[in-house]
Amino acid sequence: MIDTLKNSFTRLRRSSFFAGFVLFIIALVLNAALQGPASFFSVKSINTLFAKNAAFILVAIGQSLLLIAGTMDVSCGIQLALVNVVTIMTHQVWGIPFGLSCLLGIGAAVLASIAVWVCCSVFRLPALLASYAMTYVIRGVNVMIMSVPQGKVPKEWYMAYDSQLFGLIPVSFFAILGVLLICRFARKTPFGSHIYAVGGNPRNAFAAGISPVKVQLKAFLLKGVIVGIAGLCLTLMIAAGNPLQAEDYGIRSLSACILGGLGFGGWGSVASAVFGSGFFVLIQNSVYYFFSLLVRLIPGFSVSSYWQNFVSDVIIFLGLLMTIVTAKGRQEVLREGIVRQFKRIDYRKSPKESEGKEVTTHE
Amino acid sequence: MSSTKSTLTLGQRSKLFMQKSPARMAFLIALVLYAITVMISPGSLNASAIGSIVMLTLLLSIASAGQTIVLIGGGMDFGVGAVMSSAAILTTTIMNSQDGRFFPLLFAALAMGATVGLLNGICTVKIGLPPLIVTMAISNVITRMQYVLTQGSPMGYASPSFIKSVTSKLFGLQFLPSIILYGLIIIPLVFYLLNHSRFGKQVYLLGNNPVAARLNGVNINRIQILTYVFSGMFAAFAGMLGAAYMNAARCQIFDEYAYNSLIAVIIGGTSFSGGVGTYTGSIAGSLVMVVLSNLLTAMGLAQPTRNVFMGLIMIVLLIFYNREKKVRQ
Repeated sequence: MIDTLKNSFTRLRRSSFFAGFVLFIIALVLNAALQGPASFFSVKSINTLFAKNAAFILVAIGQSLLLIAGTMDVSCGIQLALVNVVTIMTHQVWGIPFGLSCLLGIGAAVLASIAVWVCCSVFRLPALLASYAMTYVIRGVNVMIMSVPQGKVPKEWYMAYDSQLFGLIPVSFFAILGVLLICRFARKTPFGSHIYAVGGNPRNAFAAGISPVKVQLKAFLLKGVIVGIAGLCLTLMIAAGNPLQAEDYGIRSLSACILGGLGFGGWGSVASAVFGSGFFVLIQNSVYYFFSLLVRLIPGFSVSSYWQNFVSDVIIFLGLLMTIVTAKGRQEVLREGIVRQFKRIDYRKSPKESEGKEVTTHE
Repeated sequence: MSSTKSTLTLGQRSKLFMQKSPARMAFLIALVLYAITVMISPGSLNASAIGSIVMLTLLLSIASAGQTIVLIGGGMDFGVGAVMSSAAILTTTIMNSQDGRFFPLLFAALAMGATVGLLNGICTVKIGLPPLIVTMAISNVITRMQYVLTQGSPMGYASPSFIKSVTSKLFGLQFLPSIILYGLIIIPLVFYLLNHSRFGKQVYLLGNNPVAARLNGVNINRIQILTYVFSGMFAAFAGMLGAAYMNAARCQIFDEYAYNSLIAVIIGGTSFSGGVGTYTGSIAGSLVMVVLSNLLTAMGLAQPTRNVFMGLIMIVLLIFYNREKKVRQ
């Protein structure tokens, strides 16, 4: 009995998400302490936590798939706004049932993902920069579809989203659980091992008979669906449309994944994304309670929303700093991944190959 | 060599030309774009319009000076916009429409820029994450700080003499704004830094091959951090000039310069992978960006369409300059 416990602990400690897991537990304890355990573990508080942050956690899960496959997408933040805008506007302008416009919203996210895939995998552009350029394109499209924040969601839909099944489990939790089950299932299929092969080394994967472009397409499609679901969570949470929201989710999800222990390409698991994003969510929540504690303790102390934004951005930055600690063992993997993101020449190849520059190949 | 040249198709030859002298290419593109603008709206061919093009080009060139140095060194600085905005706010707050505060302001702004640059540099070198992510996170923090410190609405104006030193017309000529005088100081300085100083050589070496640079005794971490510090200082100076041009400042006023300076530098032929690039190219790239923005305005395109355009231009540029090799060879 004790041996099996010991074994499973050793396995946990060796797993890729261990650092993220520890951070997550620390944030959980901190948050519970600041908020008061009784209040924190109440059904209502857990529900709010999940309902507000399901979108972010889902985006991080989608991002982690791409990271494993050796690419990334910074534009998935603004893609959430795209889903939001498409869902609201198709319902409002065309008068179609809300369920159908939800599907259209997911379709829009999948289309956007395919566009990013074309840039990153087909045109072979550096993923980070190409997807950043796509942020601009998608932002423009969003504003073209919906010029100013407007629209609303049918009441029964957002009420349903905010409710709990059996009076205990939040509906938004099921969205996350569903996506995790899909990922779990995908891991068992050949695709599940192919993305690790492609992320680790596309050339070797290609030599082994796996098409990197196709595998990355599948990863992008899956990510598109996940971002679509995340966009719906966001839409149902705010129950309105805004073309220019959630843009920072892209970069935040990336840092959450890295914080959770993912490297660039062929390494880590989806659990890293869950723990990394959970850490972010709980820390942000703690900041809120910390400030309200200060307001209660110090008379005459007031906090503007500017301060809260400032502190939450500082925390994102500190989170990135913390990757020095969590990613220490994987510095080499990270560095190689970065080189692959920016350099045209792959340094890991034999020097002979990397000498052949594009200009000389014409002769 | 001539026999190989004659076998090249037109497309290959134009690609060669682009890769050989991107700066000349960029000037050509700018000329063509300007010609199209004039064709669409003939009214835009006048001295004051050219003056405003010169003004904005110089502003963007000064902002992209640091970006050029950082990119050549193999990094990337997304903090340019946030630093410029902060420097603009500093300018209006410190000057508060009173003369004689230029030097304290210069000191404060440059110190601010250098501090942010130092932070950018240390964090990119030490964290080992993509510089894009690190500098973006830092610039977000700085942007939020602007709101916290000014409560969302910065006060004051730039001093009249400072405004005059930037916007008045030299010799009464409409197309010669006096910002050229600042350009005459900054541009040679950048050329000296990049082409004639030891630092410049080390930056090129570092961008070309960090391992070789280290083996040759270059302290690569120090050089990389220094590139970011220079970038911060140039951005801060550009922010001051921008505040004088705009007269007043608001939060995030120059944030788009982060993206614009990056594109301008890349149009000018500096490569993402580092080690290649010239400042002449960046100036040409800035000119292209300004003329293009004029053209989009002349075509009557609204902000969202322009956003789409800017994104697509970046992708086209990446296709031209920065494709990775095929998996199948």
